[in-house]
Amino acid sequence: MRVERHCVINADRDTVWKIVGDPDAYPSFMTSLERWESADDKPPGVGSRYTVHWKIGSVPVGGLIEVVEFDDLRDLAWVGITGVTLRGRIRLRDAGEGRTKVTFRLSYQAPGGIWGYIADRVAVRQVGRTTASTLKRLKALVESND
Amino acid sequence: MGSLGDVMEWARKQVASRVPKADLDQRDPDYIRDQLPVTWLLASLYFRADVTHLDRIPAEGPVLLVGNHSGGNVPPDTFVFTLAFCSYFGVERPFYQLAHNLVVSAPPLGWLRKFGTVAANPENARLALESGAALLVYPGGDYEVFRPSWEGHKVDFGGRMGYVRLAREAGVPIVPVASVGGQETALFLNRGQWLAKLLFADKLLRLKSIPISLALPWGLNISDLAGHIPLPAKIAIEVQEPVDVDGDDQAVHDKVVASLQAGVDRLAARRRFPVIG
Repeated sequence: MRVERHCVINADRDTVWKIVGDPDAYPSFMTSLERWESADDKPPGVGSRYTVHWKIGSVPVGGLIEVVEFDDLRDLAWVGITGVTLRGRIRLRDAGEGRTKVTFRLSYQAPGGIWGYIADRVAVRQVGRTTASTLKRLKALVESND
Repeated sequence: MGSLGDVMEWARKQVASRVPKADLDQRDPDYIRDQLPVTWLLASLYFRADVTHLDRIPAEGPVLLVGNHSGGNVPPDTFVFTLAFCSYFGVERPFYQLAHNLVVSAPPLGWLRKFGTVAANPENARLALESGAALLVYPGGDYEVFRPSWEGHKVDFGGRMGYVRLAREAGVPIVPVASVGGQETALFLNRGQWLAKLLFADKLLRLKSIPISLALPWGLNISDLAGHIPLPAKIAIEVQEPVDVDGDDQAVHDKVVASLQAGVDRLAARRRFPVIG
């Protein structure tokens, strides 16, 4: 399943990246987050790992993730190492004078064949709400700091 | 009377010989991972479960998780908590659950051993903790799980506190796990301890109860040995702060039960209706 939501924030890319480029700040705007902890002592960047869980349905879902793309002012992407197969990306692009378009993508695939597919389909609405709400909170956070 | 005694001893040995020896290697993380979606669907859609404060469980090392038990022979609290633990810590973290001899020796339930379920006895428990695993135990066992539904929010281990000695000897913390809702999956009427004694099931099968309940699809359900279809009661589970094993057994046991009862009361206070939650 792939879920994508986007929003336009009234701030330049530098300002948005200050928050998006610092995964330690994610608990301050990510919705349904139960756990976001650094799993190593590396500074944010390619190769840094985090233990992440979102409350989806009855229990926390997630696992160990690793940042695989850390492109200043543009993209931050990660993949799941344990737990459900997961890819995430936050993408920043210019949206006119002093504005930034932020795209948040989550692709995931539960194991377990047909049951995994059904679970993915059942979860997709909640994951969609979570990504939309995350962007809303990010926008509020950035614009209040700006 | 001598021959009756011989028959009972023979039957006891037959049952005991069918209880599989604990083999921790039977736990299969890949199998568990493949089963997580179906348990997640069941937990999220059917039981609308809610598991909180898993962060209170030490992130690594052996730990004894002590829960109150509900739901007869189809206890939803066990599989919901197992799902939550495996989702939170990953299937890679070794995690075992103790279960009644009859559960682990029943051929149709052989798959439980892949989840890490082993027969409930002190030797298996020690083995699991010494291997560095997390271990889930329900000291109340078959006594607590068949309490009448109107005592659904009462933590009652029936005086069993062997788990405290186990934690002390293994040098591990105890983390209480409180849950509510399981006793609303059927209408449990009576533990039937008198029936177990009458039929010698307490001596032959280690069954202290032959419970009587009203449950789907049987209607009147005696013994619950064949299980039942649980009503879709909302299951709520709260993991509590670890309890240090630093007093005598009774003092630690009292602390654990008080913590569990407080948790159960808290969770019960949030319920507005039986089953619906």
